[in-house]
Amino acid sequence: MEDRNAAAPETAAPDMTGLSRAQLRRMKRFENPWLNPKLLWGLGLLLGIVALGILGRIFWDTEMVFTGSGLPRQAPVGIENLRGQVGSWAHPLGTDVTGKDILALLIVGAPNSLYVGVLASLIGMSIGIFLGFSAGFIGGRTDDVIRVGSDVMITIPPLLILVVFQAAYGDISLTIMAILIACFVWQSPTRLIRAQVLSMRESGYVQMARLSGASTWHIMFREMLPNLVPYLFGSFIANVTTSIVTAVGLEVLGLGPQRIPTLGRVIYDAINSGALIQNLWWWWGIPTLLLAVMFIGLLLVNLGLDEVSNPRLRRL
Amino acid sequence: MTILDFKNVSIDFPTSTGIVHAVTDVSLSIGEGRRIGFIGESGSGKTTTALSAMRMLASPGFVSGGEIHLHSLPESNLLKLSDEDMRNVRLSRISYIPQGAMNSLNPVMRIENQIWDGIVAHEGAMAEEELRQRSNRALESVGLDPDIVGQLYPHELSGGMKQRVCIAIGVCLDPDLIIADEPTSALDVITQRHVMQTLRDVQGKIGAGLILIGHDMGLMAQSVDEIGVLKKGELVEFGPVRQIIEDPQHPYTRELISSVPLVGGESFLDPKPATPAKGYATEDGTPLLELRSVSKTYGAVTALHPMSFSLDGEEPKIISIVGQSGSGKSTMGSLMLGFNEPSTGAVLFKGHDINRQSAPEALAFRKDVQAVFQDPYACFNPFYRVNHALKFPFERFGLSEGPAHVQQAMEDACRAVGLAPETVLGRYPHQLSGGQRQRLIVARALMLSPKLLIADEPVSMVDASLRATILKNIHDLKDQHGISIVYITHDLATAYHVSDYVMVLYKGHVVEAGPPKDVIGDPQHAYTKLLISSIPWPDLDRDWGSSEDAEAGLAELARIDGRHEMILRSTIPGFSLGVD
Repeated sequence: MEDRNAAAPETAAPDMTGLSRAQLRRMKRFENPWLNPKLLWGLGLLLGIVALGILGRIFWDTEMVFTGSGLPRQAPVGIENLRGQVGSWAHPLGTDVTGKDILALLIVGAPNSLYVGVLASLIGMSIGIFLGFSAGFIGGRTDDVIRVGSDVMITIPPLLILVVFQAAYGDISLTIMAILIACFVWQSPTRLIRAQVLSMRESGYVQMARLSGASTWHIMFREMLPNLVPYLFGSFIANVTTSIVTAVGLEVLGLGPQRIPTLGRVIYDAINSGALIQNLWWWWGIPTLLLAVMFIGLLLVNLGLDEVSNPRLRRL
Repeated sequence: MTILDFKNVSIDFPTSTGIVHAVTDVSLSIGEGRRIGFIGESGSGKTTTALSAMRMLASPGFVSGGEIHLHSLPESNLLKLSDEDMRNVRLSRISYIPQGAMNSLNPVMRIENQIWDGIVAHEGAMAEEELRQRSNRALESVGLDPDIVGQLYPHELSGGMKQRVCIAIGVCLDPDLIIADEPTSALDVITQRHVMQTLRDVQGKIGAGLILIGHDMGLMAQSVDEIGVLKKGELVEFGPVRQIIEDPQHPYTRELISSVPLVGGESFLDPKPATPAKGYATEDGTPLLELRSVSKTYGAVTALHPMSFSLDGEEPKIISIVGQSGSGKSTMGSLMLGFNEPSTGAVLFKGHDINRQSAPEALAFRKDVQAVFQDPYACFNPFYRVNHALKFPFERFGLSEGPAHVQQAMEDACRAVGLAPETVLGRYPHQLSGGQRQRLIVARALMLSPKLLIADEPVSMVDASLRATILKNIHDLKDQHGISIVYITHDLATAYHVSDYVMVLYKGHVVEAGPPKDVIGDPQHAYTKLLISSIPWPDLDRDWGSSEDAEAGLAELARIDGRHEMILRSTIPGFSLGVD
């Protein structure tokens, strides 16, 4: 409150009297924007998936991702399958047609999907930061090339290219897949950062830094970049979502890594083996649910970060 | 007869950090045909108070107490009206003239259609003939030719014309009360005079009350009958304009009045010290700064016509460059800082072309030429504490002898500009007021002890009460630290006081130049004369002229537009101006 007075000395000071306890508690939350419920829930969901990967490896046997680990077509615990067999604790989430344990598949597959998304987004963001800064700061011909390049790339449907590419190369690793996807998620950060840099370049503090004899490098990374952090975070999260969607899309088409379990791969197998017709809903349903949790988590984190960086979105 | 009464009005804004009492217990009455001024600094609640009469408070504000009565209504309490009744009151009973006319007009509608909109919304559909008659009458009343202007789109009008269109819309339904929210703050002084006089004329003609919101005591003195002074949401003083200006009771009112510098008035600066600090001198007499037939064009637009001057820094002085927006004064500033390259000619600092320097030379140039910019809010990187802005250049230019020395230098500089170091250093920029920030920028310049300082509108965005202090700080740089200063401003009154030499710029030409006592005290050029007669001063006996005068002035300006003539008054040693 003291800070607020210093910032606007001619404005009357806020009055805290006559407020209910609940209101005061909610206000306290505004004092520290990072304690945003959306952000916390989102992070919680994402950490849950990471925890599933870590704890699962400790407490569950991940060897059960291989064919014949158990009886085929087992339903989750306590549920009967079409043959009248009741699911047991040996395979709490059931098994697929070849007897792979669904829980083990999820323990290995869910973090893999997240990994592809985060890695692709990280690479894409790095490219975007580099190109966006170059375009906005250097301007001229460089700007023209980068701008036209990213505009053209935005119009190309990534799945089309990736399908062709992956079909030609066959089996690939998760990392290669992430790199391929990264080739299609650098455009929007590039445009975003370019726009921000263009407006920031004329701002007072950049002028001041120039007056202080600052190098271009200093201006770009010490003066401008810290102020871009909220945008970068938002863009990063949005890109993770896009990357996961793209990765899962490819996997469901059977084009992802062949030997490594991922959520998309599980769904692909399920569809291919007629899980829908055989009513093996746990096979495709649970991975889909997990994907949904992942997306909701990412969305909440994104909304939360929005509120952190833009106080006008915060409501009482 | 009173038309509007505020009775003990309080307005609250619930925010995330508590309830802000924006307005507390304000009571005043507005008489028929009277002009009331609301004056106060930003955040004082003047706009909020006026807008509450239209029930158009920005969310989440609400009137938490009191009553507002509009006496021409059968049910006079405005706060009790239904939304539909309130909609009918707006424009037809109480109209509002906004601050930025450029954003208030619909860009894709012709002017006359925009006036019709308001009429139809209140009186229902009517024949186009009748509508046109009404809109023509409204446009004529603000001195615009309805046959031409009515058919135009907003982007085809100048800023002053747009503001007059807004006035026409405001008066087309003969309201009881007009609320004008800083209607001229985006206009230059010449247009400001014309728009204000138009507003006064129309208001007098329809006999409506007027609430004029503003922060300029001079403009108030020339325009209103009664003044209400607001501070932190409280009405600290209210009375007839003559009483307020000649015998202010509240210290805040006195501060507001004394903060308006007058041309020819008492100086707010300290007297010159007996032995002024020595400036910079070269052995062979190379001037500190030299412009050799420098011009700047942006595409087809010439921002600055070729001009030359040379300034030697031996005896430090302040050169003022005065002009309205678009006169090329800021272009000159950025040329002198080397942010822009001139289209022709060269800018020389200590005899070297500043755009043809090696990296070490450029660094030395940067150390010697510093600047204070207009916007103190933008000058600090919000990510860092304010120390960063002071410390970084100090270290970069190799002036630092270790962290303790930097700290010492920062504290000394803060004290020199009248800031207590412990209250500003180590804070984030948003925790400081605009005035504190601007003084820190001056302190920053002081730490680097440059040879030349370019001050580009250093006080135009600072609250009026602090302007004199900051100008004093800048003036001290010259007197006590031997720094030559180029002061770029639109404000002739401050230029009159601080400068040793004044150049008046008009559309990229220097029209008149000389010592301030000559140029501003006794102007010769038509443009300078017009500029000075248009400044509103808090002097009730000074006639601001009628709108015909203002119109004649604008016509005179149009006449001299094409040709350029320069009137050179007497010269001062160490500075020479030439135009080629």
